[in-house]
Amino acid sequence: MDFLSQTYIALRGPTGAPQSAVDTIAKLSDRLSPSTLLADRRAAVLSLKGLTRDCKEDVGDRALPGLIQVLQNDAEIDADIGKAVLETLHQLCEVDDATKDLALKHTDYVLANEQVTHTLFALLGDTNFYIRYATLQLLSTLLQNRRQQVQSYFLKAPSGAPSVIAVLEDKREIIRNESIVMIQALISQSPDIQKVLAFEGAFEKLFNTVSQEGGVEGGVISLDALRCVDGLLRFNSSNQSYFRETALPSLLCSLLLFPPNLLLQEAAPQEFALQFWDDQKVANVSLVIGIMGMLVGSKGGSGQESTIFVRCFVELALGSNAPTPLKTQALRLLPSNLSFPLSVVILTPYMPVPETNGEEWDRLEPASALDVLVELALHGEYNGLYGDKRVKEGLELRGAAVAVFDNFVHKEEIKQAIVQGMVPSEETTNAPSISPLLHALCLPPSSPLSLANVTTTHIATLLFSHLLASSPRSKALARSIKPSATPVAQGQFFVPADGAPSAPQPVEDDDDDAPQSVLHLLSENLSLCFLSRSRMEGTDDREAREWDRLIVGYLCLLVQWLWEDPKAVREFLDAGALGVLVEPINQTAESESIVPGLCAFLLGLCYEFNRQPGEITRATIYPIINRLGVDNLVGQMTRVREDERFKAVGPEAMVLSYPMHAPLGANPADAEGEIWFDWAFVDFWKSNHYTVQRGLAMDPNALAASSGPSAESAMLISSLRDVIRSQAQEIDDLQNKLKGNSVGESQLNDMRSRIVALESELQDSEGKRKDVEKEQEDLLVLLDEMSTKRRRDKERMRGAGLEVSEDEADDEDDDDGDDEE
Amino acid sequence: MAGITWHYVLKFIITGDAAVGKSSLLVRLTDQRFLANPDPTLGVEFGSKLIEIPEEGKIVKLQCWDTAGTESFRSITRSYYRGAAGCLLVYDVTSRASFANARSWLADVREHADPHLTCILVGNKVDLCEESGEGTSSGRREVPTEEAERWAEEEGLLFVEASAKSGRNVEAAFEQASRDILDKIKRGVFDDDRSPGVKLSRPTNGSLALDGASAKQGCCS
Ligand SMILES: Nc1nc2c(ncn2[C@@H]2O[C@H](COP(=O)(O)OP(=O)(O)OP(=O)(O)O)[C@@H](O)[C@H]2O)c(=O)[nH]1
Ligand SMILES: [Mg+2]
Repeated sequence: MDFLSQTYIALRGPTGAPQSAVDTIAKLSDRLSPSTLLADRRAAVLSLKGLTRDCKEDVGDRALPGLIQVLQNDAEIDADIGKAVLETLHQLCEVDDATKDLALKHTDYVLANEQVTHTLFALLGDTNFYIRYATLQLLSTLLQNRRQQVQSYFLKAPSGAPSVIAVLEDKREIIRNESIVMIQALISQSPDIQKVLAFEGAFEKLFNTVSQEGGVEGGVISLDALRCVDGLLRFNSSNQSYFRETALPSLLCSLLLFPPNLLLQEAAPQEFALQFWDDQKVANVSLVIGIMGMLVGSKGGSGQESTIFVRCFVELALGSNAPTPLKTQALRLLPSNLSFPLSVVILTPYMPVPETNGEEWDRLEPASALDVLVELALHGEYNGLYGDKRVKEGLELRGAAVAVFDNFVHKEEIKQAIVQGMVPSEETTNAPSISPLLHALCLPPSSPLSLANVTTTHIATLLFSHLLASSPRSKALARSIKPSATPVAQGQFFVPADGAPSAPQPVEDDDDDAPQSVLHLLSENLSLCFLSRSRMEGTDDREAREWDRLIVGYLCLLVQWLWEDPKAVREFLDAGALGVLVEPINQTAESESIVPGLCAFLLGLCYEFNRQPGEITRATIYPIINRLGVDNLVGQMTRVREDERFKAVGPEAMVLSYPMHAPLGANPADAEGEIWFDWAFVDFWKSNHYTVQRGLAMDPNALAASSGPSAESAMLISSLRDVIRSQAQEIDDLQNKLKGNSVGESQLNDMRSRIVALESELQDSEGKRKDVEKEQEDLLVLLDEMSTKRRRDKERMRGAGLEVSEDEADDEDDDDGDDEE
Repeated sequence: MAGITWHYVLKFIITGDAAVGKSSLLVRLTDQRFLANPDPTLGVEFGSKLIEIPEEGKIVKLQCWDTAGTESFRSITRSYYRGAAGCLLVYDVTSRASFANARSWLADVREHADPHLTCILVGNKVDLCEESGEGTSSGRREVPTEEAERWAEEEGLLFVEASAKSGRNVEAAFEQASRDILDKIKRGVFDDDRSPGVKLSRPTNGSLALDGASAKQGCCS
């Protein structure tokens, strides 16, 4: 061939003696000048290309200007020289380990102005395979090295976007695939480019590619194309609104075999629920639902489209055989402030038929999505099929379910309705069977512990605390739950009472063998756990750790329940809690850092909110606190904050790795995980531990540490508190009278719920004191309301022929007096 | 997701000097709102709206790309001209300069856009001229209606005066342009798939075919 002989001459030099490479490169570079023949230039480029590998620096120094000139003048006309020059430039700019700086230097030269980039985007329009391919490769490399520079040139390139779209449509697979790779870099962090490409129809082209590749069943090309779609949409609200305008959102559903028009009352089809899965498909589907989640999460999501996406997530997570990580992802993608009617939507869960290797599935009874969600949280996938393994992946899913539950019950009405559902209703003779959540919560701790049960009860404490957290009304309702009042099919509920003094329970006790309240039960279980735990010391670390976990679960629930709920504090103390709490604080082993701290917190909390008249008063607790030492207690609490198990928890991170060594060669997917705290508790602790800490040092007669009232409002508070106290007393009295009377059952219930309402209002007013100066007016109004109600109660009682005290006027005077201050 | 309820999708661009009220016109169209202090547009923003052209019996989905008037974005915004079926060329009736610059915007559009593109000249902010009484005697007007009208006629543009603030003629401007495009479609101007800015809707009920042709097929033929 012509150019070979010419190269030879160039290499050998005119004298025939071998030349140094530098001389050769210089000679070849000279031949790139437009004044030589095209054939000579072509030969020179090919020779230079051959030399690039070994003499990258010299070729770059000498030949770059000439090569760029060739690119701009010849590449379009002569495909051979075009291919060669593109490839040479690519080699010069490609970063490898040894020559990073050099490659960047060459890149910067190529990108010194917009000319080369514009030429490259123009060349993309060339349909010659090699030109397109080599151009794409060079562009990818330039983007990799100096993305922003290329991006800014692209935006000014006359034919940038259309030629990019043209390569996306190329029927030749290699070109199309290469173009997807290039586009991924091109659109990265550039909303302007993302918009231009969307405008030019990139979404449609990319989805064409996905479907040609077989949808989510497709390989890595499907994946890359979906990644591009994701890249065009993420953080780009303009593109998101455009995307919503197209028919593509429903296509996303169709890709998952989920019918985009499914009505709320219709069941999801089995072809969606039961699919075959492999790793590639999981990766593809993960991208698809990620895109859907982005559209649901961002503003401007139309109600209709969001609803179907949310439904799709719910079905995928709760009623499909999708692999666990996908289910977890689907749950996490549900929007915060979830308004999806989980309790209304009915879905069909499935169970794998044993020993069919996931190829046969049993359909279970349809159930509400809420029930399935709770079941999933409590027992794990497939009815607790893997419950005793506690694989990290499975725990992540259950943790995500807990978070969704928390999200769902954020609305006060929903919280209350669920708790209300657990309260025994005395009107119906056949009480509803106990709710699975309640059942799980009240499981008696039995030695030796079952791993599955510990997790179940622990998660139940998390769910239950979400129902109560910062809802005085739910807390009040929860106090009247009596698990044993309902028929118990699942097993034995009661552990023998552990010598805890059974204090009078003015509210609930109808007769002597009345069933216990949940609060009572919890404190007994707690004390039982402490007992078993102490026997465990030094014998079985693993089992000891599980007892600790259960204890932590109970304590965290109690902390959130008793917070700002003096009635619950009263009940808890009356159940003998003081002794239960003091012991672990007293005999701390150095190794244990969270249980004593939690006990200290709960003790401080019981002290702070012990504001109801009763046997164990603040004055009873005060000397105990002093004996334990305020500093000691504060120190214990601080250790909780410093513990890894506490520190590692984040809004989306609650599952930790189990610290014991995994057996060698174990599959990381099978790694064991564990849960200690959830974010809600960590958050709660961080915002409130100071209040408890401060309260510990307060005199028993001092007012709540949770407020910092001025002297003036302090007086107001104490007078209001007296009013409330006397009214509370009166309510109790009224109630006792009611009980003693043979009033009809239904009327009694009526009164009782009225009392619960009154109590919670009382608590409301107690809470409001924090901000007394601002809120005193509200408080007075509230009191007035209460008085009115009480007056009405009294009238009712008078109506029922009962005796009623006549102290109305005094109270009124008090109120008026305060008003004028 | 319900089936698609429009017959045509028309792509529009909105161009003109900075601060003449392009974004305000779009927000008025899509949200029936007026913002006293909108941010200057960076690059482009997308907005859309369904309108009805009763005499054609057609429902049209307008996909509008609102571009930035600031010079530094000009190279970006040009990329959008090529794919549009319609253009709102906006000036501010209280700014002589913005009207003068409309010539260069039009030149830009002519250079980069489809030759069959329908362009409507929109004189915005007429509300400012109506405050001190009727007619052109208002102190703030700098571009007489007749002058703009004449220029529009010379250049073969549709013309309307509007106000994003009061809402006057905003929808009408888009309707007028859409009607013109539909008319071109009827006359077969776009017979060879020439305007990428017009698409027929596909009859879908959500479960559309995963078919490569789906997006292109519809181009009015
Ligand atoms: N009185 C009046 N003011 C308007 C009208 N339309 C827009 N404005 C005001 O004009 C200013 C600029 O409006 P924009 O809509 O941001 O202008 P723009 O053309 O989008 O500007 P760029 O995005 O920078 O190109 C804002 O203060 C608007 O409130 C109108 O019809 N009447
Ligand atoms: Mg704007």
